[in-house]
Formats: sequence, C-alpha cells, structure tokens
Amino acid sequence: MILEKKIDSKFLTFGPQEMIFVVLAIISVIGLSFGAHALLVGHDNVFGTSREIPWGLLISPYVFFACLSTGLCIVLSLGQIFNIKVFKPIINRTAFLSLVTMATGLLCITIELENPWRVPFFALLSPHPASNIWWKTTIYSLFMIFMVFNLLSLFMKNEKRARIFSIIALITVTLGNLNMNSDMAILGGRGFWSENYMPLYFLTLSTLTGCAAILLFTWVANIFNKETSTEAEDNALRATARLFMFLLFGLLYFTGMKIMGGFYPEFTKNPEAMYLLVQDDFAPNFWIGEVILAVILPLFLVLVSRGRNKGLLAIAGISCLVGTFTLYYHLVIVGQLIPHYFQFNVVDLPQFYSYTPSLHEIMITVGAIFFFLAAFVLGEILFKKINFGK
Amino acid sequence: MNLNSKEDLEEDRMKVNKEDSMKIEDLKKLSNEGIENIPSVERRQFMQFGLAITGVFLGGTVLSLTSAKNVESAVSGGKILDGDYPYNPHYTMVIREKHCIDCEKCLDACRSTNNVSLHGYRTDILERSVPKAPGERERIFMPILCNHCNRPPCVRVCPTRATFKDKINGIVRMDITKCIGCKTCMAACPYNARFFDEEIRAIDKCNFCYDTRLKESNGKITACAAACPANVRVFGDLTNPETPAYKLIHSSGKVFWVLRPELNSMPNVFYVEK
Repeated sequence: MILEKKIDSKFLTFGPQEMIFVVLAIISVIGLSFGAHALLVGHDNVFGTSREIPWGLLISPYVFFACLSTGLCIVLSLGQIFNIKVFKPIINRTAFLSLVTMATGLLCITIELENPWRVPFFALLSPHPASNIWWKTTIYSLFMIFMVFNLLSLFMKNEKRARIFSIIALITVTLGNLNMNSDMAILGGRGFWSENYMPLYFLTLSTLTGCAAILLFTWVANIFNKETSTEAEDNALRATARLFMFLLFGLLYFTGMKIMGGFYPEFTKNPEAMYLLVQDDFAPNFWIGEVILAVILPLFLVLVSRGRNKGLLAIAGISCLVGTFTLYYHLVIVGQLIPHYFQFNVVDLPQFYSYTPSLHEIMITVGAIFFFLAAFVLGEILFKKINFGK
Repeated sequence: MNLNSKEDLEEDRMKVNKEDSMKIEDLKKLSNEGIENIPSVERRQFMQFGLAITGVFLGGTVLSLTSAKNVESAVSGGKILDGDYPYNPHYTMVIREKHCIDCEKCLDACRSTNNVSLHGYRTDILERSVPKAPGERERIFMPILCNHCNRPPCVRVCPTRATFKDKINGIVRMDITKCIGCKTCMAACPYNARFFDEEIRAIDKCNFCYDTRLKESNGKITACAAACPANVRVFGDLTNPETPAYKLIHSSGKVFWVLRPELNSMPNVFYVEK
C-alpha cells in the first residue's frame, strides 16, 4: 500500500536516463558473460592465474568494492547512528551505494570461484569457523540483508528501525573488513600481507574510499538528475571533504611506511616484495597509482578547493578511487610474485614470478564496474520516481 | 716462587687492562655500523617493538574472528620437531638429498599411480646450485612435495573443510566434492604443493598415496618412495622406532632440517644430507 502511494504516475516512462542505464547494463552483461565462459571452460584456460599465482586480478575488485562498502557504511553511521546532523542529507544515497558496492564485490568473488554453486551447500553443511574466508562470506552476506532492511525502513520513514539495522550492519561490516585483512595476513607463506599495520590500514582505506565515492557520486547524481544541490547537501559534502582530507593524511603516513620499506629493508617484514613494489617492476604503478593518484593529487585538490568546489572534490574522489584500486591490485598480486623457494639457490628459478591479467579477467572486472554504475543509475532513477525518503 | 708468580700475575693483569683500555679508545674512534648488519629477524622484532610503542601495532587480529598465529611465527623463528607425535601412525618422509640423481622415476610413479593430471604435479625435483667453497658450487637435487604439516596453513584457510588433516594419520587430504575452487589453500601453502585440476574441478595434492596404495597395503610405502632407485625418499612412521625414517632423524649427531621452518607450520617432510 505504502509502495503504491509513493510510486509516481510517470513510473513507466523511458527517457535519456533510462537509456543510460540500459547502455551501462549492456556493457555489464557483455563483461560478465566472459565470466560465464570462464566458468564453462575452466579458469586455467582463460585466466592469467597459475599454480604459483592462484589469486589474480578479480580479487582486487572484490577487495575494492567490499572495502568501499565498509567505508560507505562507516560514513553512513555518522549521520544515521551517531546523529551528526551535517551528514544526515546524504544518508539515503550512502546507504544505497553501500549495498550495491557490496553486491558488486560479492559478484566479483563469485565469478572468481571455480565452483561457486558449491558455496551455499558446503558453507552451511561443512562450515569451517577457523577460516577467515568463511566468516567473511557469511558476514558480508548478512550485511547485505541488514542493509536491505535498513533501506526499506528508510523508505518507509521508520528511522528508529532503520537505525537499529544500520548499527547491526556497521558491526557486521567492520568485522568483515577486519577478517578481510586477516584472510590475507594468515597466508604467512607469502610475503607482503602480514604487516602489523594492516587492520588500521584497511579501515583507513575503506573509510577513505567511502568518502571519495560520496564526493564523486553526489556530484554525478546532481548532474544526472539536473538538480542543484541544497545547502544542507553542500554542508554534508564539505564535512565529508574534511574527513576525506584527514584520512588522506593517514594514507600518506601508510604510503610513507611502504616507501621506507621499499628503500630500507629494516622497515618491513617483506623486503623482497616491497622492493619489487617501490623500486622494481611495479614502481611506475606504485608511484603513479598509490602515491600520486591515491594521495597527492586528491590532497592537493581538496586543499585547493577548500572543500567548496564540488567539481574539484569529485575529481579528487575519482583520482583517489582509481589510485586505491591500483593499491588493492598490488596488495593482492605483488606478494605472490616472490618465488616460494627463492632462498634455496634453485637453478632457473626466476627472481620473481610473473602475472598478467587475461582478457577474460579484464572484461569481468569491467563488467563488475559497469554493474555497479548501472545499479547506481537505476537507484537514482527509481528513488526519484518513488519519491524516496522525501 | 709464589710471591714472584703473584707479582707476575699482577703485572700481566695491568698489561691486559692497559690493552683493554686501548681497545676501548680504539673502538670509540670507529663509526657506527648502523642497523643494516643486524640479522633480519632481530631487525623485524625491533621494528615490531617500535610499532607496538607507537600504537601502530594491532597484531593483525583486532576484532578478527580467528587468530593469526602463523603471522607471528614468521618473525619468531619457528619449531621443527617437538618430539610429540600427535598421530598414530604419524606418517613422514625423509629425503636423503645428496642421493638424488634427478632420474624422475618418482615423478612418473606418482603421476601413473595417482592419475595426476598433465596440467600439474604432486611432487617435483628442484635443482639447486649451492655455494660450497669460494668459487665452487655444488649441484644438489631437492625433491619437494606436500609437507603434511602439523599446523597446515592450507587447512586453516579452507572455508568448507574440503582440505583437512586426517585425524588418525595426519595426512593432509582433499574431499574434492566440497572444493569451491577459491584457491586460498594454494595461496597459503608455503611449499607450492597444490594445484587446481580442471579435470576434477578441485585442488589436487600429494596425500602420501593414501587412496591408491596406503589403504590397500596397510601403510607400507608411497609410489614415489617405492620407485626411487637410490632410496632418496624414505617413507615411514614416526611413532615406530623400527622404521628407517624414524632412525634417520633420530640417530645421534645426524643433522636434519625442514623447509621454511620460520613459518612454524611443523612440516612432516624432513631432509638429511645422506
């Protein structure tokens, strides 16, 4: 009944906005169809992964989107749970983005599995509570359910109930995030993932990307909807920009730690991987992606705009998102490139293993990104039509 | 005589003290060597200590629902054998490294006995070039396989218990019907002992020929050990002092080692020279 009342009479109209959605959805389907093909023929035949490098490109969008969702939920909590008034105008969009980013992350990891159809059966029938992956998958699935209920409650203007679901969602997604880094950290056989600062690093990165996404997608939504933002929204963006700047300084510290590790082995547990990242083959990626795009450029733009120019803030946001995507790619790949038996003087063993993402992996990643974009656009269309939260 | 000798001793002591003081003066003139020459483990522990003081250290497990002991063991040295064998029989393989001539009969035997896919392998032989003396290197062949660790990182990470440690004999085995193909066990294995077999759509790995030979022959010997002409691979039970494998690593003065002990995974494949 409530739904029917809220739905606008122009619900079934098809305009340029709907056309944009269709285009994005088609690109997404094309990309994801490569995943279906990979599932049919087996990953060994179409992925760049190998016995030595079992985790490839697809883990990066999973980590990226899951952490992004965590960050969005954390920023959401500022307005919805902690009642900081300035963040309240962006609650609806942030909650929706948090949900669709998690859905995108789980989509990526599902396609990355060789036998995804076994997950629902054996995750329930043969669970392994000592495994971080089991916890992570369970927690993220629960998070999605809580976030759906949060959104529905927001839609029905039941703020109290929405707040309860938001609290539960925040706790679950934080636990999931900490299991995400533990999942990697316990792989002690490989370099790179057991650095002591990992939990703090993951939470900082997550919140940072959450802020970046809000800055970017609020600006995009205003253009998309041909709306000018309200003063309250502007204030929310300014507050987000301040938080964003603070977190960028945090990331600057962690990036500095990485650089120190790359140049001075005594500052890291994984000197070989850090050297490869900071000074060797991955150095251009690192300096352009992790240093300039993720930290320096966004920090410069935020400082120049003083949190007022929404266009510059949006550029800072996208720059940071692209930079952190590279960061997650390095986090997944570089540690695996150190040969298992590198200290054994093995004849013909390369100094580093090599990995290049295949066309299938790239297309699936593109498909996942467009899935997220299509979902975002669909959300904007639907929420406007059903008069969401107003 | 006694007095003389006492005086002599006193004189000697004075000399030594003088020399010592000279040395300290000399030492003071030397420049600081820095921390570059401290062994890496000590350096890392020092850094960890520093991070703990500055509050950056969070142990890798804050609010995480499982612990990360393996991470810490990576910087703490690690155990090889604690003399306690939790399984009965407790299967092991002792590799007599310098006997290996790389004939690869073990690899063929493994492949044919266990129907190992051509896309991968359960065991391999690495060729090492080890410094022996200045300007001289020694060629050594090092067979590798699953180490059937007592604390297997691969088992720990599996979300569906598709890979598990046999509660009776300690063999790390696979239940291929439960494998979801996440390949986390492959990423976790420090020995590169696992591969994804597209034919069975699951991880494949050495199981000490559990399903193909051990069950039938009541735990006698694996295919690779049976095929080896130089008796490089000695398969046995660590709870039975009569087995050659037990004797090889329990004989007095015998040096044995495991691969990557710093990970504290407590492997059950041991290496001896001969």
